[in-house]
Amino acid sequence: MTTIRIPTPLRQYTAGQAEIAVAGTNVSTALDDLAGQYPGLRGHLYTEQGQLRGFVNIFLNDEDVRYLQGAATPIADTDRLVIVPSIAGGSDAPLVKVDHAALRVNQATIITLAVLGFVVNAPWLVALVAAVMTIGTLLQRPGFKPLYASVLKPLGWVKPDVIADNAEPHVFAQGLGAAFLWGATIALFAGAGVLGWALTWLVIALAALNLFAGFCAGCFVYYWLARLKAPGFLKTPPAGTFPGLRPRG
Amino acid sequence: MSAQTTITAVAYLALSAHLEAAYPHEGAGLLLGKADRIDRAITSVLTLPNRWDDAEQYHRFLLTPQDMLAGEHEAARRGLDVIGIFHSHPDHPAEPSGFDRDWALPWYVYTISRVSDGRLDHTRAWRLRDDRTGYTEDTFSIIGQPQRTP
Repeated sequence: MTTIRIPTPLRQYTAGQAEIAVAGTNVSTALDDLAGQYPGLRGHLYTEQGQLRGFVNIFLNDEDVRYLQGAATPIADTDRLVIVPSIAGGSDAPLVKVDHAALRVNQATIITLAVLGFVVNAPWLVALVAAVMTIGTLLQRPGFKPLYASVLKPLGWVKPDVIADNAEPHVFAQGLGAAFLWGATIALFAGAGVLGWALTWLVIALAALNLFAGFCAGCFVYYWLARLKAPGFLKTPPAGTFPGLRPRG
Repeated sequence: MSAQTTITAVAYLALSAHLEAAYPHEGAGLLLGKADRIDRAITSVLTLPNRWDDAEQYHRFLLTPQDMLAGEHEAARRGLDVIGIFHSHPDHPAEPSGFDRDWALPWYVYTISRVSDGRLDHTRAWRLRDDRTGYTEDTFSIIGQPQRTP
């Protein structure tokens, strides 16, 4: 007969036994037989609707049956099934939170590198900042977040500042800044220095406005697009907050 | 009288450091130690990465079956058992949520730590009732003096 290995927390329902012999031709009928032999297990394996609970994972000879044929995976007498729990949980926190410290590190880094690019006349630095911001936008996080998460936060130099806020407008704002900097890069490499540095300084100014005054111009644009029901722009400003202004923590 | 869960000061320091580093996200890991018929004694923790999507980690954590298998092996190597799960609720009460209950297993002890503004505030220990309708709370205590600088 096929055997099923029971995880420690469920052995109290199998009289302490770790391995149970079951009858069945596939994973589903084998589990059914197990729950029939030990009825105390049923409520922990299945929901009230008869679905396998989210944390129940079945491995057939070390392979997750999800990647085989799921509950219909056929089994032989010599096979060994193992029930492995996955564990999940979490608080009832209803609102998305945004760590504004990560955003500020991002803005400060953008300003520093862009100003440096201007001072030493290095268009490649503008392109680098544009690239990092683009990657951040695609990953839906501040481009220079690793500097914060892996260096400044662990060192204790910057403390988290987590407030209820929407993440999307900040991602959009960064994307907008990246677009301006790509425009600047193209202008600079094409020889249109005045236009290129003007666009760069526009991004520097808006990042500084956000860093020092807490006003995110790109978020303001996002919320207006949402108000105009532009597709994909779904979020409204946190309660009591002017669009684009930093919510009170 | 309620069941007891104890944790050594060294293990509690490791748990605290992991959960504070994860803030503002939820952090999680496995509690290793020994279980008798009623009580649980945590002597070591296994910190694990939160596998839930980044964007939702502020209120969710996930440990995969591979994590659990690896945890079982590591526990066996140390001569211990996996006796529970620890996780944090950033800026939220150290009490099980409805979502926690849907995913909980009996027998394991679940410690939930409230982390406020990046600092671990306090920890409570819970066990799922047999009928899955709720939890009972264990008496939770730290054994030995935590050697922590303020």
